[in-house]
Amino acid sequence: MAKASTARAKPSLLKRLYPKAKTDLEIFLLLYIPLIVITVAFIVPLLTIIPEAAKADYKGLLSNVYYLELDKYSVNRFVVVNKLPNEIRVTINGFDFGVIGNSIINAAIVTIIAAILGSSLALLIGIYRFRGRRVFSVLAYIPLLIAPFVNAYVVKVVFAPSLSPQGNTLSYLLNHLFEPLLGKKLIIAFDKQAGVALAQILMFYPIIYINTLAALGAVDATLVEQALNLGARGLKLLRRIVLPLVVPGILAGSTLVFILSLEDVGAPLVFNYDKMISYQVYQFFQSAAAGDRATIAALSLILLTAAAIPLVFIRRYLSLRYYARLARGAPRPFQGIRLGKAGYLVAYLVFLPIVVAAATPQIGVIILSLSKRWVGPLPDLLPAHNLLANFHAIVSDPGLRRAITNSLTYLGEAIIFVAILGFMTGYAIARARLPGAGLLDILASLPLAVPGLVVAFSYFVFFSKYSLYGFFDPFLNPGHVLVLAYIIRKMPFTVRSVFTSVIQTPEELEEAARSLGARRARVIRRIVLPLVWYGIVAGLLLSSIYILSEVSVSVTIGALKGGPIANPSTHAAPITYAIAEIFTLPSVTGGTQPQARAAALAALLMITEIAVIAIASRLARRGQALITL
Amino acid sequence: MGFIQVEDVVKRFGRTLALRGVSLSIEKGELFAILGPSGCGKTTLLRIIAGFEVPDSGRIMFEGRDVTELPPDKRGTVMVFQNWALWPHMTVYENIAFGLRLRKLPREEIDRRVKWVLDLLGLRGMEKRYPGQLSGGQQQRVALARALVVQPRVLLLDEPLSNLDAKLRLRLRGELRKLQRKLGITMIYVTHDQEEAMSLADRIAVMRNGVVEEVGSPEQLYSNPSKLFTAMFLGRTTLVLGKVVDTEDRTAVIQLGEIQVKAINHGLGKGDTAALVVKAEGATTRQPHSPGDYTVLRGTVSVSMYIGSFIEVRLAIPGLEKDILLDLPSDEKEPPIGSELEVYVPLRNMHAYPAEEEIVKEALEQA
Ligand SMILES: Nc1ncnc2c1ncn2[C@@H]1O[C@H](COP(=O)(O)OP(=O)(O)OP(=O)(O)O)[C@@H](O)[C@H]1O
Ligand SMILES: [Mg+2]
Repeated sequence: MAKASTARAKPSLLKRLYPKAKTDLEIFLLLYIPLIVITVAFIVPLLTIIPEAAKADYKGLLSNVYYLELDKYSVNRFVVVNKLPNEIRVTINGFDFGVIGNSIINAAIVTIIAAILGSSLALLIGIYRFRGRRVFSVLAYIPLLIAPFVNAYVVKVVFAPSLSPQGNTLSYLLNHLFEPLLGKKLIIAFDKQAGVALAQILMFYPIIYINTLAALGAVDATLVEQALNLGARGLKLLRRIVLPLVVPGILAGSTLVFILSLEDVGAPLVFNYDKMISYQVYQFFQSAAAGDRATIAALSLILLTAAAIPLVFIRRYLSLRYYARLARGAPRPFQGIRLGKAGYLVAYLVFLPIVVAAATPQIGVIILSLSKRWVGPLPDLLPAHNLLANFHAIVSDPGLRRAITNSLTYLGEAIIFVAILGFMTGYAIARARLPGAGLLDILASLPLAVPGLVVAFSYFVFFSKYSLYGFFDPFLNPGHVLVLAYIIRKMPFTVRSVFTSVIQTPEELEEAARSLGARRARVIRRIVLPLVWYGIVAGLLLSSIYILSEVSVSVTIGALKGGPIANPSTHAAPITYAIAEIFTLPSVTGGTQPQARAAALAALLMITEIAVIAIASRLARRGQALITL
Repeated sequence: MGFIQVEDVVKRFGRTLALRGVSLSIEKGELFAILGPSGCGKTTLLRIIAGFEVPDSGRIMFEGRDVTELPPDKRGTVMVFQNWALWPHMTVYENIAFGLRLRKLPREEIDRRVKWVLDLLGLRGMEKRYPGQLSGGQQQRVALARALVVQPRVLLLDEPLSNLDAKLRLRLRGELRKLQRKLGITMIYVTHDQEEAMSLADRIAVMRNGVVEEVGSPEQLYSNPSKLFTAMFLGRTTLVLGKVVDTEDRTAVIQLGEIQVKAINHGLGKGDTAALVVKAEGATTRQPHSPGDYTVLRGTVSVSMYIGSFIEVRLAIPGLEKDILLDLPSDEKEPPIGSELEVYVPLRNMHAYPAEEEIVKEALEQA
């Protein structure tokens, strides 16, 4: 008997899977359905970019200075200083390395600066106790509210060159101080690449802040106290104890920022800076996809490759297990040490201006939504009795109303699938001990790391080929493609939340029911769901707001049937595209600025986000970890 | 062929080899204990029998049927977990009724059976409470009730009493034994508490480091262990090394430092190194009635403590590195430290085995 069993060779994969499929069908389905769905609906379309991009003329592309230019002309207009009799104009333009060079180098610079700002702010707030800490931390969260396009617009009026003789808002404010001092006006402005970078840094640095803070939350107080006892002080404590623990968080956040910067359409569009890959892809869809497809495919592939490189380094942190450890936090989180005098100076003179500047766009969006226009240094507020005029205008515009209904319809459809697939995925990764569970763990988070524009373009190519005149035809049914993109791109938030709640529930609770004779389906219904529902709901809420505020696919695929202005009664565009479209409208002299209406839409979005994040973090208990990569 | 048959089961977790070829045969209606130190693989074995883990190789058979790949809900084995695993979102009643509802029993029948088990375990009046509102002992009993109420063919218990205080543990132990007899349930009972295993089980399997060392009735294992590890593990014992100078019919004469002692021989030949296990109990300084059943240990007292029911003595034997632990009856005189002492130890408490390197090393390191 013993011989028989030891002689048994390791059976083939299929042979090993078969008994499980027969006897525990549920876990089989829970694991392999999402695995197949993600592969077919995400990985396969993504791969279709490759043959498409193979048609491009790379030699021509890379030798064309429009796409790639690395010489002294790239940086010769980095800063331009104009000394006029009454004023000094300093305009920071940044560099121009061509479309490809710009996207990648800009993303790298944005990432590095955001990483320095975000992590040092997180260390300040996470490690030290000081007066005003709460104010800092609330301000630091504000830029996380997504107000697509409008936030970049506010950065533009505050920081970009202005036609007004007073300069932009920043110069206007600073000159109250400088003009008496220098006897001249000092006009500082950010334009072109520098403007894009500034907008992105202010927008994205909190992502690193929040990732670092989450990692700090997992630092055990005992560890720090031990180090303090051993005589580690100040910087040494930071370097030896804290940094090694938070570096993964910083890396994970930085990767996300790098990707978000690469795919950001908002800032280039608002600064009207078309020499970036994201803008090129956006334009391609604006012209109803009539442009040079091979070049766009090549650019998408470059975008995808650029986004993939840092991923290789942080592969480990993409795993849900790493994430769940962070979300759980330390048994006894470190409470902080008191900040010294020099620390106070740094906090209030260096960091306060930064967090205030970074919160400006979101605050500006609210102000703009209550204004008639804001083109000069100061907004032109609406009269008090008509303060909500922009909001009324939205509701009475059939095209915009349709955009809102579209968004809500897409959300409703997508969220059902997100709930089902997200639960299956999160549960299967936590519980399935079958081949493929590890793969699903990685695939489930991968959509977070693939630029949305690449997803949009790959869906476009894939479905216009394989679903021509069909359900997913991007020209006939862009809504269907959008819903699919929303499901795939925003499901990871639900998966994470489900996974974290499931692994925090002892498996014995399920096993006890199984041993009493309950099939897995029943165990899930009677034991798992009642215990983890809050995690599911928290995840769904987060997925919802990210669906509502999704930009990349919305402004590309979403535009294929026209927008609220061109086709008010038949368009398939969601809210974010409506905002984008309004931004390209010319201002009418004297009338209400169209951007103000866009701001009102964005303000509605932000209010929804605040409410939802508040509820979700209550449900999941640890709000900050929820949003990390 | 036993009712439950474990055949050459191997289980690996990454680098740890949790089970290295375990075979067992368990009879119907038996209370079978699995005893062993922490980390030896008891829980793993139980989980494989229950169907929560699939072994890397080997088989599990129930009544001659291969169930190795059968999921836990199809096995008819009910498990009581070390941490009880009560469902926090269900009341005591719902927890207990869960298994009955699964079996689609009529409501009155469910009610009747739940009442029966509540009475049996003294849980009457707690039906509406949630597990969080119960004491540890009550939760423990709910976990037992939840399993017993379905009257399983096989009940698997993983250290079910380990989190309770001594008194409650003793009482529940008795109740469990009575119930098992009454209902004729086949029970596999995992514990690292030898006293618990001894007092409860029909048979015990002693495990060490992923293997079953020995299976036998409590008496058999205690009074005549055939393996060095079993002898070491059961009772208060001392392990020392000596040399076999002579063998007789069942006994061996062993050179222990500067003295010679007699011990029951488990397969040693003349000249072998012997691992001698001395049980502390039964020793006396008074001349026994039948000196032939005893062997004499002579040495210096290094420790002497009055414990209550006995006097604990450590005897340093000249030329021996380790002192031997012996319990003298409490009515004897407490020997002063440093004095020379002659102690009579019953032969049945002296067992000599071939010196298995691993076990000897571990035992000597512990001292
Ligand atoms: N899921 C697992 N993953 C990795 N190693 C495991 C796992 N389960 C058990 N082990 C290892 O296998 C060995 C046996 O563990 P097991 O839980 O069966 O021991 P045990 O005899 O029940 O111990 P205890 O008395 O402490 O409960 C241990 O070394 C343990 O660390
Ligand atoms: Mg155990």
